[in-house]
This record gives sequence, structure tokens and C-alpha cells, in this order.
Amino acid sequence: MKLASRLRLLIMIAVLALSVAIVAAQDEAVLVIGHAESTDSLDPARGFTQTTGIINRVAYDTLVTFPDEDASEILPWLATDWTISEDGTEYTFTLRDDVTFVSGNPLTAEDVVFSIQRLQSVQGNPAFLADNIESVAANEDGTVTFTLATARPAFLAELTNYAFSVTDSATIMENGGTDADDAAETDGAEMYLNGTSAGTGPYILESWEPQVETVLVKNPNYWGEEPYYDRVIITNIAEAATQKVALEAGDIDLALDLTRDQVATLEGNENLTVYSGPSVYTHFLLMNQDEEYGGPVSDPTVQLAIRYALDYDGYKVLWGGVTPPTNLTVGLVAAYGEDKAFTRDLDRARELLAEAGYADGFDITLSYPDFTWQGVNMNTNAQKIQSDLAEVGINVSLNPGELQVSLEEYRTGIQGFGYWFWGPDILDPIDVISFLPGGKVGAERANWLSENVSDDVNALIAEASSEVDQEARIELFAQLQDYLQESGPFAPFINPAVQAAYRSDLQGFVYHPQWTLDVAVLSLPE
Amino acid sequence: MNFYTYFLRRLLFVVPLLFGITIMAFLIANAVPADPVTANLPQNALNDEDLVQAFREKWGLDKPLHEQYFAYIGNLLQGDMGRSIKTGRPVIEDIQQFLPATMELATLSIFIGLVLGVGVGIISAIYRNSLIDYVSRMFSLIGVSFPVFVLALIGLAVLYGQLGIVAGPGRLGFRTADPPHATGFFLVDSLLAGDLDTFQEAFSHIILPAFILGAYVAGTIARVTRSSLLEVLGMDYMRTARAKGLGERRVLWHGVRNALIPVVTIIGLSYGNLLAGTVLTESIFAWPGIGRYMFRASTSQDFPAIMGVSMLIALIYIIVNFVVDMLYFFLDPRIRGEGR
Repeated sequence: MKLASRLRLLIMIAVLALSVAIVAAQDEAVLVIGHAESTDSLDPARGFTQTTGIINRVAYDTLVTFPDEDASEILPWLATDWTISEDGTEYTFTLRDDVTFVSGNPLTAEDVVFSIQRLQSVQGNPAFLADNIESVAANEDGTVTFTLATARPAFLAELTNYAFSVTDSATIMENGGTDADDAAETDGAEMYLNGTSAGTGPYILESWEPQVETVLVKNPNYWGEEPYYDRVIITNIAEAATQKVALEAGDIDLALDLTRDQVATLEGNENLTVYSGPSVYTHFLLMNQDEEYGGPVSDPTVQLAIRYALDYDGYKVLWGGVTPPTNLTVGLVAAYGEDKAFTRDLDRARELLAEAGYADGFDITLSYPDFTWQGVNMNTNAQKIQSDLAEVGINVSLNPGELQVSLEEYRTGIQGFGYWFWGPDILDPIDVISFLPGGKVGAERANWLSENVSDDVNALIAEASSEVDQEARIELFAQLQDYLQESGPFAPFINPAVQAAYRSDLQGFVYHPQWTLDVAVLSLPE
Repeated sequence: MNFYTYFLRRLLFVVPLLFGITIMAFLIANAVPADPVTANLPQNALNDEDLVQAFREKWGLDKPLHEQYFAYIGNLLQGDMGRSIKTGRPVIEDIQQFLPATMELATLSIFIGLVLGVGVGIISAIYRNSLIDYVSRMFSLIGVSFPVFVLALIGLAVLYGQLGIVAGPGRLGFRTADPPHATGFFLVDSLLAGDLDTFQEAFSHIILPAFILGAYVAGTIARVTRSSLLEVLGMDYMRTARAKGLGERRVLWHGVRNALIPVVTIIGLSYGNLLAGTVLTESIFAWPGIGRYMFRASTSQDFPAIMGVSMLIALIYIIVNFVVDMLYFFLDPRIRGEGR
């Protein structure tokens, strides 16, 4: 046989084998997602990262949830309805009666109690979410009652977090888990839960190979609507450029972590659809209230001048997204919209600086981590801040630091003039309390203490922290945001856009502020 | 000196070296003014003293530094490298998972680098200052000075993205199952399982990163080979060899063998470098290797993992250097002559 004909035969065999393989693979609907994995644990009591959120969103269910597209209201999920006591400290939930776990065990109130108590006792990363829960009890009628230490209007919003996933108590106990007080030392179920899931969600965790890939398979006994994909593979591609090229080549169906310049080059590609929307992360300047650290920027008039001096539109040109009027993430309930945001006013900024006695400007050092977060390079922004402020005579020298080192300075409140970003742990306006006098970022990082401000302001903060009525809350947070714009050591300047892209026939893609992506709602046309 | 004395003498150096490395790695990892608590707990959890305390206790961070060190050494002597904060698994298990991927890539890369580098170097030296020499010197200059990640990105975008002649990121297609585990080298494991399709797929995935890393290594090897061979070719004994009428090939063989001594050193170092992981290349090719693992560990202050990988990398260098030293013994008659 001549070489050419041998080659031809070989190619024919290969093509035949390939088509057999493709036909076999087509039996199963498989979705491949390229994602920069951040998982630290898949145990709901321990994991608290973006990737854990994506996986546990579909491997488990919570009592209540948000709508598919935003965080605008609280919807029933495993709980059909609930009642709240007059003083706002007791919540009683009625559970669905048609739900079973992957193991076949039916969902009971005891499972809810076990899951919450385990979250508290294991003392893992997300345990802080349950700090305000004094006790959880299963009632005789099958309902569950949560008793809170203090009334907390954000409680239901917190309950939507996957940390409050309801887990199969019997299965977890069989595999070394416990909700006893000493669970931090004695609970041994993490390895088990990193290998499979014990929930009620539309998918089951089939495997997690850390920093390589996570595989989910359809849960045949799911109580809700059956998802389209039989199998979902989340493969770890840390590099955005690699995600893009793998998406273009068709090796992945969805790339979750693209950068702005990349999606610009994808826009003409009709096989791919690009998503771009504001992230929940707010980038802001911190100006230390303590004169020892802050120097000139500890002066409230200078702080306001800096808020007027930033070129807000310029940051949007760089990263897309929206300009946040305050540190309360745009898009959350009660948050001000972009229409209330600062616009640059250099004359006003110069006036204010003169008023503060800095008509000729001053020298200051800006500290920030040399870091890229969701495609946003902080160095680039720092350089822009430098040139923005130069226009009003403030001479900024840049001091980039290694992330963890810089973070430590920021955390201990010794950074005079810093640039940071913040993502809300709770999708509720209460998150902005952190940036108010006495709040975590306000007090600990910027030295903005309760005693520095009037009693009226402190009273307003206290009221906003406990008010339950929705209308009243919105009004109170509006007042707080007005206050934060006029005074305060922060200058939020951009909520950059996040970018993703996927094959154009994929339906149902939504980028959610809480769980990023719900793979159970994705499908292809029949 | 006979081979065994030489072998034992070299081996004796390894023990204090390893011990010194544990101290250095431990001190450096701890000298960074950053707190693993901040690196690993969510922002809101940092306010909860109980959680912070529980975290410190769990990872032994509440103890004084010297106690932490002795506890680490104690465990290490029993073969326990601790558990990674980030993956929650024993570090030894992580290493077992990530090292074979890197070893497979490094081995293929060094092989490509060796063949290209030594070949080009020899040709360059023989045809010194000819067109061939200029071309190959340019080639090695590009190999040395062109940033690997740029080459990797271009290679991926063109050869995979545009032309489709090689496969893309990862060790295998994302929908393909791993071959049954034997060595952890997919090329070997797939052959052992008699699965030619998987072998082909694995080869198609590894060839581009291996070639890019190989080209990088080849640049250095070619330059060293060329200059070393040129030096040797000018030696008196070469003239003597020619004078006594040896054929040009045998003369050259004489020279090459002596010229190889510095080349072996470079190859050893390069292989060590590749095995220590090439963070950027591994990231760009989504290659689940030890370099990427180390990067992740160091950016999250994952002490057990940082220590584990530092020890591993140190060990790799020691082994590679050890092998190089042994090769010297055979290549360099002067070492054999020592102590006589």
C-alpha cells in the first residue's frame, strides 16, 4: 500500500472514531465554564468565595432567596412563608413538604437547625453571618424559629447567602460532621463535603479537584424545575486571555472573567454574546481622619475637595460600569442611583482647598495594593488619581505595595491616604454602615470614630441599623448617604464593569450580585 | 578519588543544606509583614474576635514563632507537611497532584531545549561567523530575551486560536476524562492504558507549552554550548590532535565532550527552573502544575503550602545539582584525579 493511501485510510478511521465519540458525547448535555477558581472549601459552613457561591447556589438551597436577576426582594424558597415577631427578633419559617435530599432523606426542621448550628460552631469563614442568631429551634408543627440577639432588618437578606444552605444532617453526621459547640475542633465532614454535596439543589457535586476543575451532575430527585444541562464542568482558567481564546475556539461555552479590552474585540463575533454590567465592587479613596496619619487629607474640607477633583467620567471610560454616589453599591435596595453621583468640579475643588488653607496644594503619598481585581488594574487607577489631583495642586506620590502587606496597613488603620475596593458581604443597605463613623471601615481603617461626630448622626446610624419597615429604611439610608457625600473620609469613584461572554445560543445567562451565576437556569434551544 | 567517595562526600552536604533551607523558608515566609488572617478570612469576619482566634488556633498561628517552627520540623520528620489553608488538603496530597503535571511539561521542555540548544550551539561554533552562525545566534538571543509569557500568549492565540493546529489550555480537553492514574504523566499513563486517542490529545495539549519553554531554555543552552566549544576548539590539545593527524570528526568529538561540562551545569539549572514551576506559562496554559499552586499559596499566605513547595523546590535543585555533580565525575577527568 502506498503511503498516501495508507494516510487516507488512517484519516478515515480517525474521522469515523471521532464522529462515534461525538455522537456518544451528545447523549449528555454538558456545559463547560471557564472561570478563575477561588474555592477555599465547598462545605457550606466553611467556604466563602465567589466560586463556592456559584457551586453551592445549585448544590444546596436556602430558606429564602433573591430574584434571579437582582437583590430587590426576598422570595420564598425552601420556606413557603414566614412570620416576624413584633419586636423583630423572632422569625418563624414554614418549610416545603415535598423536598428530599440527594440521599433520599426528607427535609425536616431539624436539618435546618443542624445546618445553622453547625455554621455557628464550626467557626469557618462565613460564621460571622450567623453572629446575631441567638438560637434556632424546630417546632412541633414542623416550622423553624430563629431568635435573634437584636432586631436586624438585614436578616432575611443574610439568609439568602449560601452559607445558610440547608444540609442533610443525617448524612453529614454519618460522615463525621457535628453541630456541637466544639465543632471547630471535632467536625470532620469537610473532606466529605468537598467531594460531594448533601443538599436539595438541582445539581449534585460530583467532584472538585482543587485549582483544576469542579464537576456538577443533575440531581434526579430535585423538587423544583429540572435544569437543562446534565453535567456542568467549571474548569479553572486563571488567565483572562486564555479564557477568551478557549471560548473563541469553542472549548468552553462560557467565559466568566474577561477584561474590558477583550470583550471589545469579541463584539463583532456573531457566535458569541458579550455581557458587561456593573460589579458590586466599589473602588474608593480612604483619607485617614487621624491627622497623625492623614495629614492634610484628615481635614473634612480637603476630603470634600478631593471628591470634587476626581474625573469620574474618566474612570468609566477606562473600566465601564457606574459612578457610585456613596460606598453603598449602586443597584442595591436603598442605594442612590448614578444620577446622584458627584461630577467633577475643579473650581469648587480649588475653592475648598483654599478655604482649608491649601491654596497652593500639598504633597501626599497614596498607598494601595499593586493588584488586579476582576480585570481592573489598581496601578492604572492610582496613576489617574495622581493626574486628577495634580490639576488642583495636590502632588501625589504613589506607593504601591504587595496586596497582603498593604492590606495589613489598611486593616490596622495606619494608612494616611489609601486606595481600596470593597465588595458587600451582605446585599443589604446595612452594609454601608461599615463606612460610617464607628463602622468597620470608618472607625478601624479611617479612624472616623463615633465620638468625632454629633449625637444626631450617631442616632441616625442606630436607627437605620434597626429599622424594619422598608419605606422608612429607604428614607433613613437616603439621609445617611447625603451625609456621607458631604462629610466623611471616603471618595468612591467607580463600580467597574464585569465582563463575561458565552456562545450565542446559550439562554438564560444572568450575572447575579450574590451568587454570580445560577447554572440551573442556563439552557440551549431544543 | 573513586566514585563512591565522591558520591558520599556530595551526599553529606545535602542534610545540612535541607535543614538550612527549612529555616530560611520559614523565616522568609514569616518576615512578610502580612497576616494570614487578613488573607484568608472575609472582611466582615475580621471583626469577630472569636473567628479570628479560631482561625489562629486551627493553623497554629497563635504560638510563638520558634514553637511553630519546631512543630513544623517535628511533623516534617514524620513525613507530615501539614494541611494547606487554601485547598484544605494535606500539602503532600496537593504536591502529588500538581507535581506530575509540571514534571511532564518540564521533562519534555528540557528535551526539546537540549536537542535544539546543543545542536544549534555546535553548528554555530563550527561555522563561526558564517551566515548560519548569525542566524542561530539571533535565534538563541530571541529565545533568551523574549518574555516567555508573550511567546505563550502569541502561540496560544495563533497556533490554537487562529490555526487550530495544536490543542488549547489544560492537559486534556475539558470534556475528556483523565487516563487511569499510574505515573501522573498523561502521555505515559494513556499509553499504559493503551488509549491512543487520549495520548494524542495529551500530546496536542503539551506540545505548545513544551516547545515555548524549550525554546527559552534552548537559547541559553545554545549560547553556552557555542562559547564553550569555541574556547575548547582553540585549546592547545586540539591543535595537537589535529597535528597528529586525527580526522576532523574525531577532533570535534574530543572538543564537544570537554565543552559539555558547562553545558551540563546549565541544563541542570534550567531543568531545576522548569521543575520549580513556571508560573506564567502554567497560568496562561491553565496547566495545573506546581508553579500555579505556589503562586496561589504565596498570595494567600498559605504557610503550610508555601513551606511544602519551598522544601520541594529546594529538594529538586539539590537532586538536580547532585546529578550534575555525578555527571561531572564522568565528564571531567580532573575530578577523578583529585586527591590522588
